[in-house]
Amino acid sequence: MLIHFILKDLKIEWRSKEIVTSMFIFGLSVTLIFALSFQVAPGLIRTFAPGLLWVVILFTSVLGLNRLFSLEREEHAMWCWTSAPVDRGIVYMSKVISALLFVLMSEILFIVPFFIFLNLSTNFSFFQFALILFLGTGAIVSVGCLISGITLQAGLRDVLIPILLFPSASPVAIAATKCTESLFDQKPMTEWNFWFLILGSVFVIFGLFGYMVFNRIVEE
Amino acid sequence: MSFFIYRNNLIHAGMAAILSAINIYIVLSLEPPNLAQGTFGNIFYIHVPVAWTAFLLYLCVMISGILFLTKKDKVWDRRGLAFAEVGTIFMFLVLTTGPIWAKPAWGIFWPWEPRLTTSLILFLIFLGYFMLREFGGNPEQVSRYAAVVGILAFLDVPLIFLSVKFWLPEMQSHPQVGQYFESSNPLPTYLLIFSFISLLVVSSLMIRLRINILFMKERN
Repeated sequence: MLIHFILKDLKIEWRSKEIVTSMFIFGLSVTLIFALSFQVAPGLIRTFAPGLLWVVILFTSVLGLNRLFSLEREEHAMWCWTSAPVDRGIVYMSKVISALLFVLMSEILFIVPFFIFLNLSTNFSFFQFALILFLGTGAIVSVGCLISGITLQAGLRDVLIPILLFPSASPVAIAATKCTESLFDQKPMTEWNFWFLILGSVFVIFGLFGYMVFNRIVEE
Repeated sequence: MSFFIYRNNLIHAGMAAILSAINIYIVLSLEPPNLAQGTFGNIFYIHVPVAWTAFLLYLCVMISGILFLTKKDKVWDRRGLAFAEVGTIFMFLVLTTGPIWAKPAWGIFWPWEPRLTTSLILFLIFLGYFMLREFGGNPEQVSRYAAVVGILAFLDVPLIFLSVKFWLPEMQSHPQVGQYFESSNPLPTYLLIFSFISLLVVSSLMIRLRINILFMKERN
């Protein structure tokens, strides 16, 4: 059933291409604004780049999560799975996986211009960078999908998602920035694996919590 | 007010007033341990117990949320809301007294001390919690959503604390706390415990009054 839900989201995105495209364009625009703002002090860009990268990822994730869950409201689509004999925790897991795939896809697209616009060097391990992106994005979407699920039927949902997500995801922002900063400075991984642990903990704790409570959040 | 026509409630209110008055008198009249901090050093006897009370109330929000989601009894929703409201008032006091103490101790109002930063992030999550309560829509659904946010907020506490603590490892915890606790003089420990007990009495009165108001509102 999990596969069916993921395929449904992927099929909708394949036909419309709205989530990844909008996240990519938004990410690119925010990167451009950052690059222009830091032209007054180009030397500082490298210092701030890890933090800026995760601010862009956090902002684009909000856009993607909002859209991904809005699809369920259109034409009351969510009633199909709320009235079906399906564990709603599975729906949450499928949303986490779909959101992770969409955000990662948009990251692949806007990270290249991010490095070009901010004139950043790429003397680091791409495998470790991919791992940081995967864990950081996974942690953000596991908290984000839970909050999007909470606000799915709530009023003012567009406002409530960032208001609840940004403070809740602050450990992710700190840990992911620290990991990226250490990687850019080519520090040995043993010095910063603690931050990996934080990212992994958020991913697992909120992933499990979301799976457990989604049944009680979404009701007919 | 109908709450105060009952003798038990009047005794509770009287105890809260007397204990608070004694507590304030002690804090204002006590010789400060560190002359460099001046009278501000004594804010320790208010700031620390207020923080303990605030975190304890947020823990109660989480427990109420779990009980509401499992038992689906409206009583736990009212209790959860009352704990959250009073907890947020206390958290606001933590965020006010913290910088007042930090200025003479460290020379700056906001030193990114891990506990203070964790308090700020929790405070922001709970502001989102109240927005959800206010603008979330259907009251029955909002109760469920709020319970989940209350649990999520407290689950985040260790992760936020660890992230902030290791983010700035050079930042010490509370300023010169050791100077208050000399093995030969147990008075500061007793004063701290007394202050905490008096705040528990005040907060429990506020919670009971608030639960009473919420109950009356629902009955009408």
